[in-house]
Amino acid sequence: MKLKRIVILLSIVLLSMLVACSSNSSTSENDSNNNSNSGDNSNSNEEQSEDVKITFFNTSAEVNEVFENLFDKYHELNSNVTVELIPTPIGGAQIEKFQSLLASGTPATIANLDAGAILQYKDKFLDLESDREKYEQLTKPGTIDRVLLDGKFLGVPWTSQGYGLLYNKRAVEDATGESFDPASIRKRDDLATLFEKIDAAGTAPVVIHGADWSLGSHYTGLGYALQSQDVDENLAFVEDLKNGEADLSQNKQFNGLMDTFDLLKKYNLRKDDPLVSDYNLDSTAFAKGEAAFYFMGDWTWAVIGQLEGRDDEFGVIPVPISNNPEDYGNSQIAFSEPKLFAIDDTESTEAQQKAAKDLIEWMLTSEEGQMAIITDMGLNMPYENLLAESPNIISHSVDEYVNKGDVINISVMNYFQPDWWSKVGASMQKYLSNNIEREELYNEFEDYWESSK
Amino acid sequence: MRQNKKLKNIGIFLLFGGPTLIIFSAVIVIPFIFGLYLTFTNWSVATGDSTFVGLSNYFEVFTDKDFLTSFWFTIKYVIACLIFANLIAFFIALALTSKINGQGLLRTGFFTPNLIGGIVLGYLWQTLFSQVLPYLGDQYGWGIFEKSWLGDPDKAFWALVVASVWQLVGYLVIIYMAGFASVPKEVIEASSIDGANYFQILRKIILPLTIPSIIICFFLTITRAFLAYDINLSLTDGGPYNSTEMVSYHIVQKAFLSNDYGAGQAQAIVLFMAVALIAITQTYILKKREVEA
Repeated sequence: MKLKRIVILLSIVLLSMLVACSSNSSTSENDSNNNSNSGDNSNSNEEQSEDVKITFFNTSAEVNEVFENLFDKYHELNSNVTVELIPTPIGGAQIEKFQSLLASGTPATIANLDAGAILQYKDKFLDLESDREKYEQLTKPGTIDRVLLDGKFLGVPWTSQGYGLLYNKRAVEDATGESFDPASIRKRDDLATLFEKIDAAGTAPVVIHGADWSLGSHYTGLGYALQSQDVDENLAFVEDLKNGEADLSQNKQFNGLMDTFDLLKKYNLRKDDPLVSDYNLDSTAFAKGEAAFYFMGDWTWAVIGQLEGRDDEFGVIPVPISNNPEDYGNSQIAFSEPKLFAIDDTESTEAQQKAAKDLIEWMLTSEEGQMAIITDMGLNMPYENLLAESPNIISHSVDEYVNKGDVINISVMNYFQPDWWSKVGASMQKYLSNNIEREELYNEFEDYWESSK
Repeated sequence: MRQNKKLKNIGIFLLFGGPTLIIFSAVIVIPFIFGLYLTFTNWSVATGDSTFVGLSNYFEVFTDKDFLTSFWFTIKYVIACLIFANLIAFFIALALTSKINGQGLLRTGFFTPNLIGGIVLGYLWQTLFSQVLPYLGDQYGWGIFEKSWLGDPDKAFWALVVASVWQLVGYLVIIYMAGFASVPKEVIEASSIDGANYFQILRKIILPLTIPSIIICFFLTITRAFLAYDINLSLTDGGPYNSTEMVSYHIVQKAFLSNDYGAGQAQAIVLFMAVALIAITQTYILKKREVEA
């Protein structure tokens, strides 16, 4: 009797909740319909004073606050537009949150996402083709081509980063006793000779950060990007791998890259304990000259910049993959626009989309916006005629390559499955800690591709 | 009149039980049912597709080699935690209930790790294992600590066990102490008058009478260890090279990183069944051994 009553009560509660849910969603649908209607109207009437509220989903969690201040400033200038930040935790459940917003029908108007994530949800975002020309003029040459996803302009680039072998000038020069010209390293043997000299002086030539993202994504990712300067050909190579038609052990670029990796491994500061992978520790070791080189990118300035007692002169050189200076990759560094601003095209009204476009343009072209991104966030912008100067010394060095056009287009990685770097990163960790030989490493890579079809 | 009373009863029940019932339904029952439904589809946010695929997700569970590896790894972890956490907690509780000075202080000391969240605790031990201990190992030539424990699959397993046991013990100690306190003094006195030595008393009197505490402690250890996620995430992050991926961690990766919600959710259901089955069997077996003074 009692049990029966409880069951009845429980089902009443459940039913009433279901009813409540469904009635809610139907009203919200009506709401959004009304909104989009009114949005249409306001657009045709050119009513500027209509209040618009937009949301901004941010995966650059470490700079949540800077964005918030920027939005406040924008609201002061445009009192009819309110921007609300949807923050995510650093290194936490970011894409999960994005997914749940999307699944519950309340996506953010603007999403600051990794290019790969935008590609994955490409049907959900607004095609920005009409703005493409404008941004082609605003950005440095080649930028927009790099951020096209499946040939479409879905996200506006706002930050750029380059990576390669970072060098600590003081550490190199102290060890070798002569001045260091980064341009003198043009092939693998040059690097080997230099490493030998540095090692003989008792300084560790290089530090490899043993994390899966660094090894898997950044290092092995070069292998695919270096197949050709044409992203379509890179993708074709990956397609061959998926079909089991490509053999990595016969691939010149991969073998070259791994030969260089063996060299780095031999002279690694952490060679006795390569998988500790403490990012702050490794960056500090490099910045203080415990190691002369570091396979990393200009973003590490966020750690180095604030250190006390660090050295002052840093720069970047390419990872040489062969002994022919002319080979693609020996004089270029990897460069990309990792995060893009994309605009939702599922639930947002036209008024919101318009406001979102205006906000993005203001953030990227106004002095306030550029100051916030470059000075406060310490990031680099792939834009021309910047109104702020970056304190990031490494990115100045990156810029020299970018301005010469000496960059490796790594956008092929945007097309990989999101679990790619973690899977191949694990294989690289085994290789780094001498648990597998190169043959097994290649087998694991090939198995991954074949299973990811 | 009767009808009225019935209504009143329901009203009172709803007044007290209603809010809890609604919250319970909203955060447990409904998500569980929806989750169950998900396992029969290939739902994905990206495509919005949710085609019915029958049992294929469940077939995938048992063909997913990584899932089986992580499940086996978790079982080893649970067994290690079960043995060490309970043994240590049992003897600490025994020591604390015999008249030691500063009992309160010690009890607080042992309980504190339990108040630290799993994430913080994981980072704490990560620093210890990857920086402090190797440093000390270098200084004093302790071979076992010379390299970080987190860089080696076998040692990383023990690092996980050590950190989890450290966290669990405090909680278990409290439960065991409550168990010991409920052992009637007369029985112990009577047995010692009969000439039983301390170990006989421990084995024949204290142990059988604290079976209820042991049941609770085993249950807690098993369920908590099986579902461990935060410490896995913050201490080893599945590394080195995914060798310490526990089953919850694997499920989260499967669902959210590989975007395979259906299969991930099916694995979660399998995990739920397994944990429920093991926990219930364990309770049932031990319950049979329960005695009263």
